[in-house]
Amino acid sequence: MLLELVSGIFRSRSQPAFVVLRGARYQHNNKLPDDFKITMLLTLLSSLLLSAVSASAARLTISIPPSPPQLPNPATLTSSTHAVLLGPPGVRYDVPLRRDNIFLFPDIDAASYLLTIHSRDHQFPPLRVDVEKTDSAQTISAWQTFRGNEWSNKGPSYGSAQNEATFEVRPFAQKEFYMERGGFNILSFLKSPMILMSLVSVVMIFGLPKMMENMDPEMKAEMEQMSSKGPISGSEGAASQIQNFDLAGWMAGSGGGGASGGSGSKKR
Amino acid sequence: MMRIPLIAAACLLLKTTSAVFADEAYNVDYHYALLGQPQQDTTFFHRPSTNSKASLLYTLSEKGVVGAVNPRDGEIVWRHALAQNVTERSNGFLRAADGQDVVVSGSGSRVAAWTAADGRLAWDMNTDGPVEDVEILELSDKLASAGNKDVLVLSSGDSPAVQRIDGASGTKRWQFKVEGGDLPYQVSASSTEVFVILLHKTMLGYYKIRVVSLDSVDGHKTDEYTLSSDSELATAETILSVGANSASPIIAWTDAAYTTLKVNIIGTKSTSSFNIEKHDDRAVEKISIQAPYHTNSLAHFLVHYETANSHWADVFHINLSKNKIEKAYSLPKVAGKGAFSTSVSDANVYFTRITEDEITTTSSSSHGILGRWKAQGLGIDSGTSEVITPTHAVSELSIKNDAVSAIRTAVSLSTGDWMLLRDGSPVWNRPEALADISSATFATSSAIEELEQELEVEAHSNAVAAYVHRMKRHIEELKYLPRMLMSLPQRFMRGFLGTSSEGGMAKDAFGFHQILACATASGRLIALDAGSPDRVLWNRQATTLQAGKTWRPQLTSQADVLILHQGQGGQQLAFNATNGHLLLAPPPREAATTGPNVQYTMTDDGLEAKRLDVENAGSLWHFTPSSQDRIHSLVPRPVNDPVANIGKVLGDRRVLYKYLNPNVALLATTNDASKTASVYVLDTLSGAILHSTTHTSVDLADPISSIMSENWFAYTLTTSADPRGHLLIVGELFESLIPNDRGSLQSAANFSTLETSPEPFALTATYQIPESVSKLAVTRTKQGITSRHLLAYTPASDGIVSIPYSILDPRRPVNRDPTKDELAEGLVRYAPVIEFDPRWYLNHARSVIGINEVLTSPAFIESTSLVFAYGHDIFGTRVGPSGSFDVLGRDFNKFQMLATVVGLAAATVGVAPLVMRKGVDARWRFT
Repeated sequence: MLLELVSGIFRSRSQPAFVVLRGARYQHNNKLPDDFKITMLLTLLSSLLLSAVSASAARLTISIPPSPPQLPNPATLTSSTHAVLLGPPGVRYDVPLRRDNIFLFPDIDAASYLLTIHSRDHQFPPLRVDVEKTDSAQTISAWQTFRGNEWSNKGPSYGSAQNEATFEVRPFAQKEFYMERGGFNILSFLKSPMILMSLVSVVMIFGLPKMMENMDPEMKAEMEQMSSKGPISGSEGAASQIQNFDLAGWMAGSGGGGASGGSGSKKR
Repeated sequence: MMRIPLIAAACLLLKTTSAVFADEAYNVDYHYALLGQPQQDTTFFHRPSTNSKASLLYTLSEKGVVGAVNPRDGEIVWRHALAQNVTERSNGFLRAADGQDVVVSGSGSRVAAWTAADGRLAWDMNTDGPVEDVEILELSDKLASAGNKDVLVLSSGDSPAVQRIDGASGTKRWQFKVEGGDLPYQVSASSTEVFVILLHKTMLGYYKIRVVSLDSVDGHKTDEYTLSSDSELATAETILSVGANSASPIIAWTDAAYTTLKVNIIGTKSTSSFNIEKHDDRAVEKISIQAPYHTNSLAHFLVHYETANSHWADVFHINLSKNKIEKAYSLPKVAGKGAFSTSVSDANVYFTRITEDEITTTSSSSHGILGRWKAQGLGIDSGTSEVITPTHAVSELSIKNDAVSAIRTAVSLSTGDWMLLRDGSPVWNRPEALADISSATFATSSAIEELEQELEVEAHSNAVAAYVHRMKRHIEELKYLPRMLMSLPQRFMRGFLGTSSEGGMAKDAFGFHQILACATASGRLIALDAGSPDRVLWNRQATTLQAGKTWRPQLTSQADVLILHQGQGGQQLAFNATNGHLLLAPPPREAATTGPNVQYTMTDDGLEAKRLDVENAGSLWHFTPSSQDRIHSLVPRPVNDPVANIGKVLGDRRVLYKYLNPNVALLATTNDASKTASVYVLDTLSGAILHSTTHTSVDLADPISSIMSENWFAYTLTTSADPRGHLLIVGELFESLIPNDRGSLQSAANFSTLETSPEPFALTATYQIPESVSKLAVTRTKQGITSRHLLAYTPASDGIVSIPYSILDPRRPVNRDPTKDELAEGLVRYAPVIEFDPRWYLNHARSVIGINEVLTSPAFIESTSLVFAYGHDIFGTRVGPSGSFDVLGRDFNKFQMLATVVGLAAATVGVAPLVMRKGVDARWRFT
């Protein structure tokens, strides 16, 4: 589930002390999850025993397979691509991408880790990697994890193995760094309502008299009669307004419409 | 799935914000992808694979960055920042062997092999102690393979050892433990054996050179002997060179006074002595040896002698059959400094000499000059009258018919530049000194500053006087008219073609061309133009440093004057920002404003403040963190932090008043034992704590960064508590949370926090961010009207993210959809995660590494803020957080505008007779 609200309203205190915060905080802020305590303990233990039992070190391999369409060839990943395993405070492994498109963590302590892969051009999902120590071996398991969710909220499993594990991770998106500007397009220019209106009026100016001329004389007489009877008639009527439409004046008054993108801006 | 609405919400947010435009990328921003000062021993030309014709230039710099540079244009092919080595002698090792597709680096306690062509890791391994030497084993024995040559690693520490590493996989083949407490010095190999050079400390404190020879196949000791008499070597520094992989590796040393040079062919027990001749009354200050690193090349080497004002060299030949060393010839004394480089072509060895004005190449077998090129003052214009000298160089040459047909020399200069000369003419220049900036600041040029002062005069005098002043100024400016008229056609052409609409430094109407002054750790001052950053304005030595010392001054600016604070006891220096000239007197400090003057300083156990305007005043307040806490950082609100609006206008036109106190600072303390971090907002005048928070389970190995601006603060940290990851916390201070209410302040025009202490209300929000942030900064504009962006440097993805403040706003409604009023204000529903959209990265596809400071400065136009980041790389750009509302952007198409105007004019002319006829017809025709 999603996190509860993380904002609060605090009235300040003047004395130099830890102010007791009112308002809601993270749900588990004060209480460490149980599995975390265990892994902490395990980390301590493992660091104590590390010199004695280096044979059963956990070896984690993360491989990047070809995954079209985002990444058809993982050899194109830049050499700055690297993976970070973030464990309990102070425990952190950072390895670069190898030439066979893998990240190799040769020896990791038992703990619960957040795995992040940083690449210049691609986005990879964050993973949760748990290394648990049992009597004889170490179990490595990995799941997808979701930022802003509880640590126990695991996604699909990437698998689990003893001592040596290899997980395949694929990018989910390519990074798009740039915003394209809306360039000049004749179709979008013609689609703009201002241009459409002026085009219609041009058609009216030139087309309407021609239509009137081609009309049946009886119809014409009838129409003239109707228009003279109508509420809008004579020289003040809509028809005459359209016919007297001052295209040049209208154009001069309204400027270039949507043609110049930076209109209204003034260069200093 | 539950994260789909999250992503959808994030996507909604992204649409509303500005980003890097494709046509501005690489034009508006600039980036120096630096390596740091290259080191003599770890710089070489090398062909990245056997079938490639062109070679790349490899280096491991003093800053521990290994990288490959394309010698054609000076661009970085790949690079990696390694841990800096802790040993005194060297900042790491970098080796390559002919026909190998990897280069091997040794730094700290890690040895790594990198694919030479693209910089991918081939293998790496860790040693128990610090790496003291790395060599590639060129000899052929039954373990060796031609494709992947093995590597020898010497490490010191508690259990010093030599290891032979499999060149294909990085696994250990054998290990020889060094016993007896001798210092491991170097490892070397001839064509048959492996030698370990150890330094044995005698009772009197002198060193003896001990050589242990090992069997290359199983690592067993075969022989051991000691060179040098009891009182020859006082320090290890006078050991000049230990060759490796040459046909006959040598070890050479001298006494501290540089009177005799002793050379031993490793593997033999006799040493040859040579007297060092004096060429004039100056004492020899430095001796260095140049020798080829090839097993099949001639066994010749060059000894380079330097005095304070001249240098010369002797070339020696090793007679392999007799194991004798003979002096072959001398290269004559030349005044000034010089550098030598060794190149190998087939089996022949060539020495190239680079002096201040000339490059000459000789063969190692005879003193005849094979090639000579003028180097035109090394092609650098530092802007000052400094003599530029080469410090070290590497060369690659091609030989045709016993003459040098072409030569490429990468030379490191005393200005901190790294330059490639092809046949003596400069091809590219990398200002590697900029990788070591300890302080930087923005400054304005004198021309702009003068204009600004004139305008100031006009603004502050009466109308008549101002008019007269203005007229005078314009008459004065008439002298520029002919020049302007001359340049008009060119400007029109450029403007029409859209190539560039910006002038240089002198005509900088927008304030983009500010001077960036940088003080480097090597004691230099370097000035860049923030508008056209490919140009270094000037570069001068500001101080002479003792060897091994670094310079950590503070650089500030007052308009066009740079002031250099050299720390405790150091002198304060002033420089003209436009040309770098030293000024005699620093300008007077700006007078303090009236009112109480409080100074606070960091003491051992906390902060202490004193009143400066009251004599003999005791401390005004103390801040002592809780027990075991230590102060991590203190970030005050910037001095120049203009705020346009004292309140936030809500959707219903009511106002929420901001708590705007100029004397606030954000203090972060950490506790290593309990893994907690606390953050306090302090009133630095009264010492009151306005807000405080404590975070538990904080990963203190990850950076904690903080920023304070206007009435809000932000900080980042990494937590392992649930939900684990990286957090960004934003807090905003208000006078009151009730709209239209100013709380206890009411309508008071002025107040002092020493007398009344209005307690602000803090609103905070926590967001989870995908990676840790090591430095926060905020954009700054002239008036503070433009909205702000939070700039965050993310070291894991080598980027600078620009996060709009509207996304961070702590007033985003939580657990409910925003009301109509909130939507009108631009507030969206709170989501706990902020994913960094790739379009927020100011650096876009560039990798900016090692940033430790991000500076921002307002341009002259309100919309734009200049950004400059330094540390290792240099990155700069300008951002318009609210879009470029007061300047025409690149999207403005002049051609299109002109075409529209012409089209409309044509239409008007064309339609005019029609309209005329229509008007006439309307009056005269009756149908």
